[in-house]
Amino acid sequence: MHADVFQTLADPTRRRIVEALLGGEHAVNDIVERVSIHQSGVSRHLRILHDAGFVDVRPDGAKRLYSLRAAPFQELDEWVTRYRELWEARLDKLGEALERRQKARKERN
Amino acid sequence: MTEMKQASSTAKQRITFERHYKGATVADVWELWTTKEGIEEWWGPDGFSVKVHELDLRVGGRLDYAMTATELPQVEFMKKAGMSVTTQHRGTFKEVEPQSRLAFVFPMDFVPGLAEPYSVETTVEMFPTADGVRLVVTIDPMHDAHWTDMAVQGWEMELGRLERSLEKRLAQGS
Repeated sequence: MHADVFQTLADPTRRRIVEALLGGEHAVNDIVERVSIHQSGVSRHLRILHDAGFVDVRPDGAKRLYSLRAAPFQELDEWVTRYRELWEARLDKLGEALERRQKARKERN
Repeated sequence: MTEMKQASSTAKQRITFERHYKGATVADVWELWTTKEGIEEWWGPDGFSVKVHELDLRVGGRLDYAMTATELPQVEFMKKAGMSVTTQHRGTFKEVEPQSRLAFVFPMDFVPGLAEPYSVETTVEMFPTADGVRLVVTIDPMHDAHWTDMAVQGWEMELGRLERSLEKRLAQGS
């Protein structure tokens, strides 16, 4: 698990940028409009998101278009799946412990 | 903007696990969640053992335990992840309603390398049924401001949207 994925998204502005990009690729100006944050801030966070592998950028004439990459989200998805599995296994073990208690009680009676 | 905020708050969902334990009693379930012996019996994942150091069962009371990898693959996994074979976990009880409801908070302990750990709140509810106990465990990893509205189940929804928009882009032909 990459702690980076979590740290990148720990910032609320970056989460809003990611949300803005969920609908498809956008130029910086569109993103600025959508997240209501000053352009310099958006650019800085886009750079961080780009360095962390969250976004791709491609030139389109004079504009640069940003879009999301799937890889870090797949990583998050895998983490969530592992977390669910941990709990499912844990609750199975709780069930086994409960059965041991029922059995012990029956044997005593 | 307002619209988006609403969208993200509906995406904020907790993880819930629900089980029915046939033949079980709420007394047994409560004991397994709230006593040293009980917790040590089942809390650790396979290949790990748990030792409870402190258990003060009241609101604000501590629940501290150590988890140790005891089997080779788990020991190697922890070493590879740069973690110690034994990890200390320090939690706090938030709600204590005997044989009914229990809540506790732990700092997120399974994501190595986080500079600022955030907290996870776990709520446990138990309901007697005609032939056993229904258990509902709710995990709220967004308890702390560091976590995201889009976390966990929210992500699954977002991932679906992401996939669709990626597919659309591919279909449009790049």
